[in-house]
Amino acid sequence: MGSGRGTDEQGVGSPVSAKTMTNGDDAVGHGGEGVAPPGQITMVFDLNKCMGCQTCSVACKVLWTREEGEDHQWWMSVNTQPGLGAPKGWEGMGGGWHDGQPVRGHQPSREEFGGGWDFNYQEVLYGGTGNATHLRPVDHGDGTTRWGMNWDEDQGGGEYPNSYYFYLPRLCNHCTHPVCVSACPSGAMYKRHEDGVVLRDESVCQGARFCMEACPYKKIYFNYARNVAQHCIMCFPRLEVGVAPACARQCPGRLVFVGSAEDEESPIHKLVHEWEVALPLHPEFGTGPNIFYVPPLAPSRLHEDFSIDEETPRIPPEYLESLFGPRVHAALATLQGELARVRAGGQSELLETLVVYRWTDLFGKYTTDPATLDRTPDRVPVRMGRTSGPTAAP
Amino acid sequence: MGALTVTEVDGEGALDPGDPAWGAVTATEVPLVPIPFDAQLNAYVRAAWTGREYGRSGPVELALAEQGDRLLARLSWEGSAEPPGEFSDAVALFFPPAAGTAAPVTIGTRVEPVSLWLWRDRLPVQQALPSATQLVAAGPGVFRPESADAGVSARSSRSGRKWTVVLAGPRQALAAQRVGVAVWDGSNDERAGIGAVSAAWTEVGS
Repeated sequence: MGSGRGTDEQGVGSPVSAKTMTNGDDAVGHGGEGVAPPGQITMVFDLNKCMGCQTCSVACKVLWTREEGEDHQWWMSVNTQPGLGAPKGWEGMGGGWHDGQPVRGHQPSREEFGGGWDFNYQEVLYGGTGNATHLRPVDHGDGTTRWGMNWDEDQGGGEYPNSYYFYLPRLCNHCTHPVCVSACPSGAMYKRHEDGVVLRDESVCQGARFCMEACPYKKIYFNYARNVAQHCIMCFPRLEVGVAPACARQCPGRLVFVGSAEDEESPIHKLVHEWEVALPLHPEFGTGPNIFYVPPLAPSRLHEDFSIDEETPRIPPEYLESLFGPRVHAALATLQGELARVRAGGQSELLETLVVYRWTDLFGKYTTDPATLDRTPDRVPVRMGRTSGPTAAP
Repeated sequence: MGALTVTEVDGEGALDPGDPAWGAVTATEVPLVPIPFDAQLNAYVRAAWTGREYGRSGPVELALAEQGDRLLARLSWEGSAEPPGEFSDAVALFFPPAAGTAAPVTIGTRVEPVSLWLWRDRLPVQQALPSATQLVAAGPGVFRPESADAGVSARSSRSGRKWTVVLAGPRQALAAQRVGVAVWDGSNDERAGIGAVSAAWTEVGS
């Protein structure tokens, strides 16, 4: 049974059988963002609140990728921008759609992801050498110690005193036009109609890895031990019982909105469609991402004499445009305008929304506390085609 | 070399590619051609492989034997010159669904899928995985697992670049008395619908 098969022994989690997009045959090309299916699960990350703590990354890692062949997999990870990120140089690896046709991409290797980091715990803790041995990564010759999921953290760009950086949490975009689904020859990948989550039936996956080539965000990993590709499943077993994905719920900065952009009362709808301050990453890739970002505002640049250049933000707008497209300028202007309004004593529903006074306002209908779920062994809600699948843990 | 027939062999060791029993089994040389690019069903695969050479492997030396209700196929060919990278060398034996069925394409179509026994060279980290599986092919690379485990197994040996693989499975797979062959060169990133295949079915005499 694959990752796309939620089981439902006690009514928690429904079997995933409906497929809106399967392939193995001619793909319909997509050049634009298109229309997401009704109920499409969507996330908005407010980059002005992300502090790069990687709690989201670890929450995901602990829950989903601790088994054999998954050591190098970080379905959720936070890149520092500007930077090469992980896999190394992913933004230049191709893939996506152009003029309605899929674009050839590079299949990132385990080395480019940085391998699976391992440390000399045994030697340090039990080696009998006392303080003479220090904790260090072990080089297995597979990229470890030469790259990693946050290797270039905090390097950023610019020159002192105008150096700058910001954090960019990245996960599968569960795209409206998922080129990975179209590229899968065996039809193992699909986008389920109830919430638009892109999944893979691991029992069907033959390990061809065209999905990894085609994904322009390079957020699909290969499990060499099991000969299947794997990627973020949007914590669908949690969604099915009303629990927000682990990355969102564990975020200390409380910056991750979860819900449906079509729900006109939801903050996501307002951020994406009404105020248009939440934008997809690299919209030019043509896949219609359903992960959106509120772009980072920046302090003003400093002149050589350290006086403030009020007119020029430290993060070059053209750099942000290279990430989020030309709409980023209007989004930043809207944010600046709302800030000015509040500074002048006014009120801003937009800023109130982004502040998030009540934590659960982030999660729409996914506010169930996982600690309240019945998780006795005979009520484990999901199997992943493994001998011991993870449960809907916190 | 001669016409392809099925020879009865004795002994427990016939799954071993070097078993002496294979010396008494007549082999046939099966020529291969690249899986036609125009037949590629997947738009991404077409985009990614436009202008790239593939399917240069072959021919394959094929011999068939039987032991009771088991069919054994011994396949030999020149494999990758390079050590395995991201993708491994592989070989498959295709079977049309039943006697009398047209099934004009050895790699199957959506309307007329075919069965295949697939062997893949495994990386050291993949030793827990079976080296052989039975799949259904409904076109180039459109492979899905059979609903039931057919008990296909394999053993392999390599001498220089030459692979010799023995695939074994149920004798009834040969009901149509025809087989096809495909080979994938892992060092050329060949997999799924990108490989070399026999252009026509090879008839199996009685």
